[in-house]
Amino acid sequence: MKWNLIRRRRLAAEAAEEVAVHIEEKVADLMEAGMPEQEARHQAARDFGNAMLIAETSREVWTWAWLERLGQDVRYAVRGLRRDPMVALTAALTLAICIGANTTVFSIVNSILLRPLPYPRSERIYWVSERMGKDEIEVGLGPDYYSLREENRVFEDVAARSETIVTWAGTEKPEQLDAEQVTPSFFRVMGTQPMLGRYLAPDEQGVKAPDVVVLSYPFWRSRLAGNRKVVGSTITLDGKPTTVVGVMPQGFNFPNGTQIWKPLDMDQATSLRSLSSPIRLVLMLARLKPQFTDVQLAREMDRLTHSIHAKYPPEFEKGGFLTGMKIYAVPLQQWITGDDRPALLVLTGAVGLVLLIACVNLANLLLARSGARTRELAVRMALGAGRGRIVKQVLVESLALALPGGLAGMAVAYGTVQLLNAWKPLMLQGYPPISVDFTTLVFTFAITLVTGLLFGVAPALAAAGVSIQDSLKSASYTHSAGRKAARLRQLLVVAELGTSLVLMIGAGLLARSFLKLASTDLEFPPENLLTLRANLAGSRYATAESQLRFYDNVLDRLKRLPMVRQAAAAVDIPLEGWRMYNLTPFQVAGRTPPPVLQRPEANVTTVSRDFFRTLGIPLQAGRVFDLQDSPRSPDTVVVNQAFTRAIFPGENPLNRVLVYGENDSERRTIVGVVGNVRAADLGSEPTPLVYRCNCQGHDPDFSALSFVIRTTGDPHAVIRTAEGQVHAVDRDVPVFDIKTMDERLADSVSTQRFQLALIGTFAVIALVLSALGIYGVLSYLVTRRTREIGIRIAMGAQAGEVRRLVVGESMVLALLAVLAGLGGAWGLTRYLQSMLYGVTALDGATFAVMPVVLLALAIAASLLPARRASRIDPMAALREE
Amino acid sequence: MMILQILRSGPMHGYALVQVIKRTSDELLQIEEGSLYPALQRMLKAGWVAAEWGTSARNRRVRIYKIMPAGRKQLEREISSFERMLDGIARVMRPAES
Repeated sequence: MKWNLIRRRRLAAEAAEEVAVHIEEKVADLMEAGMPEQEARHQAARDFGNAMLIAETSREVWTWAWLERLGQDVRYAVRGLRRDPMVALTAALTLAICIGANTTVFSIVNSILLRPLPYPRSERIYWVSERMGKDEIEVGLGPDYYSLREENRVFEDVAARSETIVTWAGTEKPEQLDAEQVTPSFFRVMGTQPMLGRYLAPDEQGVKAPDVVVLSYPFWRSRLAGNRKVVGSTITLDGKPTTVVGVMPQGFNFPNGTQIWKPLDMDQATSLRSLSSPIRLVLMLARLKPQFTDVQLAREMDRLTHSIHAKYPPEFEKGGFLTGMKIYAVPLQQWITGDDRPALLVLTGAVGLVLLIACVNLANLLLARSGARTRELAVRMALGAGRGRIVKQVLVESLALALPGGLAGMAVAYGTVQLLNAWKPLMLQGYPPISVDFTTLVFTFAITLVTGLLFGVAPALAAAGVSIQDSLKSASYTHSAGRKAARLRQLLVVAELGTSLVLMIGAGLLARSFLKLASTDLEFPPENLLTLRANLAGSRYATAESQLRFYDNVLDRLKRLPMVRQAAAAVDIPLEGWRMYNLTPFQVAGRTPPPVLQRPEANVTTVSRDFFRTLGIPLQAGRVFDLQDSPRSPDTVVVNQAFTRAIFPGENPLNRVLVYGENDSERRTIVGVVGNVRAADLGSEPTPLVYRCNCQGHDPDFSALSFVIRTTGDPHAVIRTAEGQVHAVDRDVPVFDIKTMDERLADSVSTQRFQLALIGTFAVIALVLSALGIYGVLSYLVTRRTREIGIRIAMGAQAGEVRRLVVGESMVLALLAVLAGLGGAWGLTRYLQSMLYGVTALDGATFAVMPVVLLALAIAASLLPARRASRIDPMAALREE
Repeated sequence: MMILQILRSGPMHGYALVQVIKRTSDELLQIEEGSLYPALQRMLKAGWVAAEWGTSARNRRVRIYKIMPAGRKQLEREISSFERMLDGIARVMRPAES
């Protein structure tokens, strides 16, 4: 390299010497012909041409001319920017924010949608599921798992699994573990080898499976101190000593957050297709053999659907249970990201629009700058710079502007990603942490370059259009090139405002939908409510009575606490969702019984006596559970309003009897009607619900209940004592999922809030950029028309009229933008539909309000330039020329 | 092409080359004298000509260019294609003349 430099310098010296000799020779010749030396020198120089240029082109032959010129352009650009630090700073700031936002969103998209799952050949792992019945429910039926496993021709293996929770005796106090019951084939399907020991052996499945467990890396690391001798030792799970057979490596995290994997308690022999015994529901995974394509897979799934459908006895079909049955497979990654995919794509689009706006803004800024630099460029062109060279130089300049912005943006994104990982919004909780990787770096670099070129193109073209003579002659911009540039800038501002409007309408829709959700009437006061869960899994609480005793004991102790007003227990807490598939068919006594499978269904949930009083769910008729309900009294139920409306429209539901059970053996009397409480999320309509009381001691599967505590003050203050009361009754029972109702409420709209926050931020950035953009253009127009305005004022125009002129200009631009923006929004908001609740994508109010906001903004941004215009001193303006 | 053609008759320095070109073309070709040098540099780089330092008729240190085998080959190629072109032009012109 150094040698190269020396050689280059020598070459340059030689070329210069050669030129000098040439001229000397010529001068000598001319003088010999009788010309005086002075004149001879002039003549020689004229004939030779531009010596500098020629020396340079000669030299270029030997060097990487383009590289050298690039270096020159860069040096020139940097020098130019240093002269104009405000421009550089504005650009860097704008881009830092916009590229930062884009990189952040990209790193989310990259981590969730693009990067393959961290399992060997993960693209061949498929989620297998069945869809059937009139409600198209998604299920995986135990017997079908065995059929799929035996009959398929395309999968290497099929696995069944089921999520569960397990109580671990713990090292200091009992802990709740997120566990996964799996078939041994699960590990083959996932394809990951254990880090220590082995995974489940083929015979380790079914009800009689040995008590063995495979640990996750984080669990092994944090709870068992990363002890490598753990394989073969035992830990206590659900009260039973369980042998650790293996530890999975770091990164093996499926389903997300699983701490241990244990054998699935399902046996082929008892998995029957019969209406008289319950059918086990499982989740299924499969690994596709390498030689098969998607098309072949789909065909095979159709074939399997047919053959499995035929295995069901006819009464299933008669009941409509198998209507439209379809067994299908989707790539695991696609399934995992299913619901979030559209939202992520919308986010990507929105943040891309912001960057586009930033580009337009910077293009405008550079146009203003190149307008002011027209003369400088013209001088350079007159000195022999080609137009191509000028265009290249302007582009290099915009790239030099973009690069610091890109770097800063990278830093911004890195910080934001750390924040996101720390904060873990609900939307991202199902995924591993977001990371900034090499792909992200490449992406950022690419968008930085594209951005630089994009906002550089307009100024570059404008620069290429510079007319040397005009520019050198004139001092102001009243010429055609200037007018063209002005038109271009107005167009850019319209584009910018229009794009902002699209974003504003999008944000507006999300905001309206969020407000609708957040203002949903809960039907009970959520303040001062603490909720926590306890799990009684384990042999000590095998009977309903023992469980009931435990809960009564804890509730008694809780109610005696000074800060507790009321306490209750329940299987389900509002907003956490009724347990799936708890839909139970029943019939109403006294009505003609419908065919077995056409009976009405409603969710059934179990609560303690004081549940309604504790939550404050209003009683609308009859009574709630009280001391007269006991294991010895007749079964009673309380139903909600939605149930009454669905089952007893226009009738009095009180004292009616619901008949349950296979042989219609269980009769339950409705004693009360209460208000609706939303089960899962605020966006859903309340569903019919039947409450039973645990005080009647009927439910043997009662092991995981939640406590609900109404406190007199801040519920956080009660957490420790409440936990203490549970442990005072039984110190082996783990307490977990401790949250106030307000927190659960916040969680239930967290995803919407996250999306709104992101898109709202983008819209605000867009709005600020647009305001700056329109301000810039108007200021420019005012400067350009100083003389005209000066003449107007001289002719007697009032300040108000001048102001109106400028504001009017801004209004015209904004109105054009509104037209464009409304059109754009009309075309684009449909992609938001899946993120909206209770608002249509073409919501009239939003579409009406946002343009008004934009117009108001346009007016506000034009006030300052307008004032400046009205203050123009006509004498000064006219003298300026 | 012209430069190579001239250099074929003997090595020469830049200023002399310009003089020869002017003479042989009867001052018809009004080239900018300086534009010769970038052309020479390109040929140097391509290996068509070589340069060494020598002295001019006025005893000044000058760079003397001489044609290299690659340059000769290039010249022959160019001449043949030039002749073909002339040939073509002539064929087109002839009917018009007659």
